[in-house]
Amino acid sequence: MTRKLVGQVTPEEKNEILALFERRNGLNELAKVLTADNAELYEKLVKDMGETGTKFQGWWDTMAQKYNWESSPNGNWEINFDTCEIFLNAE
Amino acid sequence: MEKVKESSQAWQSGVAKNITFIVTKDCQLACKYCYLVGKNEKEQMSWETAKAAINYILSHEDDFREESVIWDFIGGEPFMEIDLIDKICDYLKTEMFRLGHHWFNSYRFSFSTNGINYHTPKVQEFIKKNHTHLSVGITIDGTERKHDLNRIYKQSNPDGSEHGSYQDVVRNIPLWLEQFPGASTKVTISSADIPFIKESVLHLYSLGIHEVNINCVFEDVWQEGDDRLFEDQLMQLADAIIDGGYYTDYACSFFSENIGKPLDPVLENQNWCGAGKMLAVDAAGMFYPCTRFAGYSLREKKPIIIGNVRDGIDKNKLRPFLTLDRTTQSPQKCLDCEVASGCAWCQGENYDAAATSTIYQRATAICLMHKARVRANNYYWNRLYRKLELEGQREEFEKNKPSEVSSVNC
Amino acid sequence: MLQYLVILLDDTSTSFCHYSVNKKERNLISLDHLRKGIRFGMVENLMIQFVYPDYPLPQEYLDVIDTIDHSNIKPMAALDNDTDIVVIDDWECDATKLKDSVLVLRTNWKQFYENHSKLKGLLNVVQRLNVVITDLERMNDCDRENYKAVLEAMCKDIEALYVDGKSPQFNLLTDRMMLTAMNNCNAGDTTITLAPNGKFYTCPAFYYEDESDTVGDLDSGLDIKNKQLYKLNYAPICRKCDAWQCHRCTWLNRKTTLEVNTPSHEQCVAAHLERNASRELMLSLRSKGTFLPDKEEIKELTYLDPFEIATRWK
Repeated sequence: MTRKLVGQVTPEEKNEILALFERRNGLNELAKVLTADNAELYEKLVKDMGETGTKFQGWWDTMAQKYNWESSPNGNWEINFDTCEIFLNAE
Repeated sequence: MEKVKESSQAWQSGVAKNITFIVTKDCQLACKYCYLVGKNEKEQMSWETAKAAINYILSHEDDFREESVIWDFIGGEPFMEIDLIDKICDYLKTEMFRLGHHWFNSYRFSFSTNGINYHTPKVQEFIKKNHTHLSVGITIDGTERKHDLNRIYKQSNPDGSEHGSYQDVVRNIPLWLEQFPGASTKVTISSADIPFIKESVLHLYSLGIHEVNINCVFEDVWQEGDDRLFEDQLMQLADAIIDGGYYTDYACSFFSENIGKPLDPVLENQNWCGAGKMLAVDAAGMFYPCTRFAGYSLREKKPIIIGNVRDGIDKNKLRPFLTLDRTTQSPQKCLDCEVASGCAWCQGENYDAAATSTIYQRATAICLMHKARVRANNYYWNRLYRKLELEGQREEFEKNKPSEVSSVNC
Repeated sequence: MLQYLVILLDDTSTSFCHYSVNKKERNLISLDHLRKGIRFGMVENLMIQFVYPDYPLPQEYLDVIDTIDHSNIKPMAALDNDTDIVVIDDWECDATKLKDSVLVLRTNWKQFYENHSKLKGLLNVVQRLNVVITDLERMNDCDRENYKAVLEAMCKDIEALYVDGKSPQFNLLTDRMMLTAMNNCNAGDTTITLAPNGKFYTCPAFYYEDESDTVGDLDSGLDIKNKQLYKLNYAPICRKCDAWQCHRCTWLNRKTTLEVNTPSHEQCVAAHLERNASRELMLSLRSKGTFLPDKEEIKELTYLDPFEIATRWK
């Protein structure tokens, strides 16, 4: 596995993905607690997980298009929240 | 290029509300330097109190506008109440989500533990369940002899000798570092610990802990000559860190480029301490501006209670904390001090040691220790820069070094 | 720097400020303490203010009091020709007895709203009127609106008096116009109190609240710890404030915020409502002709509580 710096986003853009990242983690950990017994909240959670996942992927798609980052067939991008740098992890 | 590792900033430093549940006032240990003078086995927080506190806080979102929140759990030893903590965290997650509270997008659960129960199934289950939102610090003071000098069990050995806790803590360090690779530890220095500082920091590095945050206790415990001994230990530590090349991967909070400068009375007038910006709640459901103002933390003064879970927060009681600045509480010698930056204080200790019932009188018991630290710190940076210069690394380091930030300690 | 010494002649001496006198038994200061207190005032070069109970003092006390320049604060029941400041807690007093007096009227919010229309009559008679709200710290949102409305209405009364050629002195509305800097109670800084027990207190309120809360005694002298905290420069909210007429009551500060140098939200808001009403009064008087030409205009503010600008978290 290699790791290569391929770009950088703005702090505002970083904040967008950070919020989505935090929310996704929060939803995943909430999912370990909530059960279908609490129907209303459970339904809200499932819906939110779907929406957040879509926004999360949408951010990467938009940014990749905007900055034209280098990609790799089996690779994945990663962001450093401290520096706003984008890395490509590739095999 | 070589890098010099800096102490990391706390998560969301400056934008997170710190809310502390004093879940118990009990602890397995009776550390000699512990500022908690009122520890006991009777005051465990009930679920009803915890729930009432959460309901109050989450239903007053307008009064808690901070971007993020750190739900902090302390004791005594917080993991002695792991069942309650687990219930509290589940409720917090559920309620923050149900209410659509802005903190659902930015929260952490934080623990300062003595590490003794860290490996137990209940604690481990809790860690797995909440891992992405956890910050866990285990306190280990250094070598076994340094650690066991202070961090001893309440119950003595059968022969009456002190029962140190080192072995029960150190066995959990590998598991802790595996789960939290960037974790740091907090070391507290009192008068008797000074001779062991160097060996202790190096020992912690050898355990795989890359960041060691150390501070001297704020209480007036220092003996004549301690500052010289302290300076000598820090200089020995500086030599060891530089000669051993530890500075690239390990950090020790004693050494910082930001300390030891005069402070501008206007531009650098902020308070050091975050009391008042934080909130603590105890087993009785009382709110405090910080745990240090709860009765079990105070030797001389009455607790400063700023409200309770039923009636809410009395904002008038917060006004002194939120308007407190450096110059108003500092004596003239501090205002005139030429090495003032980095000299810390604890608002709770200031209050406890003050001549009147005020938070506006800065305790200065730490003065000589800070000056000793500054001298050793100067030595450290002068030596390190010279080494980097000779190795042709200095220019690169100067160019890439992180911008200076002022941190708030507590 | 200390300038004034208040001497409570009896445990039942009248309150002339926010605090209540919670001692019901007469307990006259001893002649020895009185003499020592006067001597202390002399050697420290302090102006002495004696605070009287509602019963006549023995002649020997009056003789001792007369050994020094002083001023007398007396309740209505003890009013005589030797009164400098008279205190009333009752809106039903006989105003004719108050001609040209300096009057302190102690009232709670409720009584104030019910009786404020009587203030104009009093202002016509007295040389100066100080209204003290005794439950200031309990001001709620409703009080805030009522107080604002009453002050606005009173501005018209004061204006009418000025138009009639009078120069009324009313602490809530005219003081701010006349001042050029903070002019507060200054207990613990410029003023100190001697209680009948021979001990010093920051002000009488501290004595009535907790007798052990002393700042020295006649034998060992003054011992005011953290004295700097009574000074304006050590009050982070007040030093940024221009509600110069504010009582800035040290005792209320400590009662509400636990710090002598930090006012409550209620104290700040009340003082700013007065300040803002004074501003309107000043503007209105100036629209009618030259009025206090050497005084600066009172600026318009966007807040009622300077905490908003003083907080370090802003």
